[in-house]
Amino acid sequence: MYRYDEFDHKLVADRVNQFRGQVARRVSGALSEDQFKPLRLMNGVYLQLHAYMLRVAIPYGTLRSEQMRMLAHIARKYDRGYGHFTTRQNIQYNWPALDKIPDLLDELASVEMHAIQTSGNCIRNVTSDQYAGAIEGETEDPRIVSEIIRQWSTFHPEFTYLPRKFKIAVTAHKHDRAAIKLHDIGIVVKQNDAGEIGYEVHVGGGQGRTPFVAKKMTDFVPKAKLLAYLEAVMRVYNMLGRRDNSYKARIKILVHETGEEEMRRVVEEEFAKIDASNMLTVPQEEIDRISAYFAPPAFDSAPAESATFAQAQADNADFARFVRANVVAHKQDGYAIVNISLKPIGGVPGDATDAQMDVIADLAERYSHDEVRVTHEQNLVLPHVKLDDVKTVYDTLATHDLATANLGLISDQIACPGLDYCNLANARSIPLAQEISERFADLDRQYDIGELKIKISGCINACGHHHVGHIGILGVDKKGTEFYQISLGGAADENAAIGQITGRAFTEEDIVDAIETLVTTYTDLRADGERFIDTYNRVGMAPFKERLYD
Amino acid sequence: MTDYHLVIDGATAEESWTYLDDEAPLSDAPSIISLSRLKDEADTLAEHSAPLGVILRADGLGKTDLGEDVRELAPFIDRLALIAIHFPAYRNGRGYSAARVLREEFNFTGQLRATGDVLYDQWAMMNRCGINAFELAADIDLATFQTALGELSGAYQPAADQNRGALWARGK
Repeated sequence: MYRYDEFDHKLVADRVNQFRGQVARRVSGALSEDQFKPLRLMNGVYLQLHAYMLRVAIPYGTLRSEQMRMLAHIARKYDRGYGHFTTRQNIQYNWPALDKIPDLLDELASVEMHAIQTSGNCIRNVTSDQYAGAIEGETEDPRIVSEIIRQWSTFHPEFTYLPRKFKIAVTAHKHDRAAIKLHDIGIVVKQNDAGEIGYEVHVGGGQGRTPFVAKKMTDFVPKAKLLAYLEAVMRVYNMLGRRDNSYKARIKILVHETGEEEMRRVVEEEFAKIDASNMLTVPQEEIDRISAYFAPPAFDSAPAESATFAQAQADNADFARFVRANVVAHKQDGYAIVNISLKPIGGVPGDATDAQMDVIADLAERYSHDEVRVTHEQNLVLPHVKLDDVKTVYDTLATHDLATANLGLISDQIACPGLDYCNLANARSIPLAQEISERFADLDRQYDIGELKIKISGCINACGHHHVGHIGILGVDKKGTEFYQISLGGAADENAAIGQITGRAFTEEDIVDAIETLVTTYTDLRADGERFIDTYNRVGMAPFKERLYD
Repeated sequence: MTDYHLVIDGATAEESWTYLDDEAPLSDAPSIISLSRLKDEADTLAEHSAPLGVILRADGLGKTDLGEDVRELAPFIDRLALIAIHFPAYRNGRGYSAARVLREEFNFTGQLRATGDVLYDQWAMMNRCGINAFELAADIDLATFQTALGELSGAYQPAADQNRGALWARGK
């Protein structure tokens, strides 16, 4: 994976010193809270309900074990012994003291990590597929272009005070695991008929109170032209995006109000002007330099089947279930992709303790070519594990409550921090996720239900992705009481869709029963092999609605 | 006497320009006029020999109005010695794009000035976008300005300044 050179190191160090100065000016009163706010945000510092929160970037979701160890160390030293992995490949610490944050950032910088542009109205941390470089069928490793975008967008002088935040995601696979169509810009690395690699670019996706699936702006931008194209989209947005109302300031609103065709025309016009200078064509040597960091690790040659692995599954039913749910085929014979669920039954989705992070770092170092990945569904991945080692890895995970075999199942929910932490929330998300998880705790029942993505947001800002849950749950506040509204049919993958609201909201007491009703409606109606989303797409809302409200 | 400290090209400078109201008559002194006046009086201004500047305004133009469009300046670029970009709030970064369009698309070589809510933590970014003149609060000294500009030692990407950006400079 990418390693900093002197330049990268120096710039991150400069940034920490700069922020140290900003904190000092805030503490002395030279900066008002209002003036300090965008500066701290651009360094990942939020003011939440009870305390400051720090969001640390994990660019395109890739970590080395020493970095994971540092995240554990920070949880211990600056927080209360845990961290929260988010839907955008970040980790959040909920309890750091403001005056200690510059020191914390210094420690992060020592392992090539930072909190730059994890918040604020700028280009945020670039996200990508957690299986990058491990899954069969990629056009190329999507982290190469992600790293180029990370560098180009870092401290971009023109795009630091945008109308609103701006998120970019990249995939290079036909199965989209990065939710690219729900980003301000979503990029698909693809190959054209001539065999050249380039990019399909989607613009204007997003969730929040006005959700949109992104529109395909262009089918193919040649490799050398991508930054010019991105700069064109950004400039159009910066010049034409609304600033009078923050709820109408995202690029999705601009695309919607301008119209897809006109937006395409304006972007193409801007692209032609910017590209004319050739200034943004990255030199091939630099692309090669960055690509080299993402070359496949030195895999051992091994047969596609492992007798050890097969025998372990035959001997141990729990391990067999773990393999069934959490282990995915690797492109390299003899290897597997091992998912680590951060959704233990009754746990807080996405949370990991310092001890768990240390364990995962050790496993990555010994068994996964030093790599860990973070997923947008708030889980972790050991991307390169030998089949012969999977059982050993599993045994260690199991002793640290990290072997829940529920990936993609009903208890593998996305949930925002909700009213327990967030000052925007109307309702609690975490306790509801915990209740649902406990209701469906029986793994055999979960396997019978199959893939079902429940996503819970505590308010309309949709950080818990409720719009794109197969079942989405939105917390609303009515006269001081928490209610939960359900939507169905959303999807965040290559068939991205915004869910439809079922009808009136449910009370805290009734919401879990309502989810149960939806599940039994599905199991009653499903045809062979149909997932929840397939059945919903076939039969529509009516039968579900009928059972929910009869 | 102005109520700001003017810095041009990294040095304290005397103000030699005057912002003119639309009704005020043009004099032989260098004057900064509105975009609407520039357009309305284009013929008269062509005859006028004194240095001419324009301010690109960003507010007071209606509730959802974005601010004036930099590309409306295209026909007048050769006639202008100064363009002031108005920043209505330090969080409003629309003017950064205007600056780059002026420098890189229109090849404007005159004075490009930031006016309005222009604070310490924005100066360096503005400078990279081609703004070379700053109206700073009167109590800000030159050393403070220079410190702000030097806080980040490099850049990854090209903009309107000389810094080519690490993505392009590495290995060169």
